[in-house]
Amino acid sequence: MGQVGGTKAKRSRPGRAAKAECSCNETSIAAEITMLLNTLRELAAIRSTAEDAAARILDSAEGLLTLADKEEAKKAEEAILSIMTACGFDDLVGQRVTKITETLDRVIATRLTGEEPARTPTTMLVKPQSEITLEGPGLPGANQDQARIDALFREKN
Amino acid sequence: MPVLVVDDYKTMIRIIRNLLKQLGFANVDEASDGTAALSMMREKDYGLIISDWNMEPMTGYELLREVRADDHLSRTPFIMVTAESKTENVIAAKKAGVNNYIVKPFNAATLKSKIDAVFGDAS
Repeated sequence: MGQVGGTKAKRSRPGRAAKAECSCNETSIAAEITMLLNTLRELAAIRSTAEDAAARILDSAEGLLTLADKEEAKKAEEAILSIMTACGFDDLVGQRVTKITETLDRVIATRLTGEEPARTPTTMLVKPQSEITLEGPGLPGANQDQARIDALFREKN
Repeated sequence: MPVLVVDDYKTMIRIIRNLLKQLGFANVDEASDGTAALSMMREKDYGLIISDWNMEPMTGYELLREVRADDHLSRTPFIMVTAESKTENVIAAKKAGVNNYIVKPFNAATLKSKIDAVFGDAS
């Protein structure tokens, strides 16, 4: 026969376990945020390194173009210009890093507050009363070749 | 003929400046965003604008629209050089009056052919 009135409930294991689990979650969230912040620092370092590398390559290429013997420089011109345009990697690295950084910022904000923040990324600019959305550089193979662009331009409006 | 190159990445400006020099365009100015570019265009007549799209506070697309809306500037040749390759964006730029559109990464031959095409159309 069951007791009437019941007994005062003991402080049960599930409560203590829940508190331990909550503390564990907080620790793992803090560790996760630390990891994400370190990742952001790494990304900033990538961008900085890429910029430095591009500048040094351009310094050398510009130096080659100003060779005193212009005949020799002319022969190498195509190769030098190819080196220079390849330095555009710095720009694209920077844009991709920006996209990643914004995603990580949102993840960090979500983990800190528990809510998904309003999405206001700078590389996806949605202007009021505009249908333009920007995505920055596409992924490899994402159909961003010049020939396709040229074909669009040849189409009549 | 003065050319204005607009991009928020100094490396890209430097690349385009060098390419233009090899093509015979030695008089090249630079701006880091559309607002600065527009201000410069109102002070000096440029024969060609080469602009990135993704810049703050004024994008290249917004700059293009401002230029085309300005009676004094509207006929200035304008080439977009950008990583933006979505069809809708290319079409939007075309409708806004861009003369040509180059997607990054690009090479020297592409820049030359697009500049040649712009001045070929104008002649």
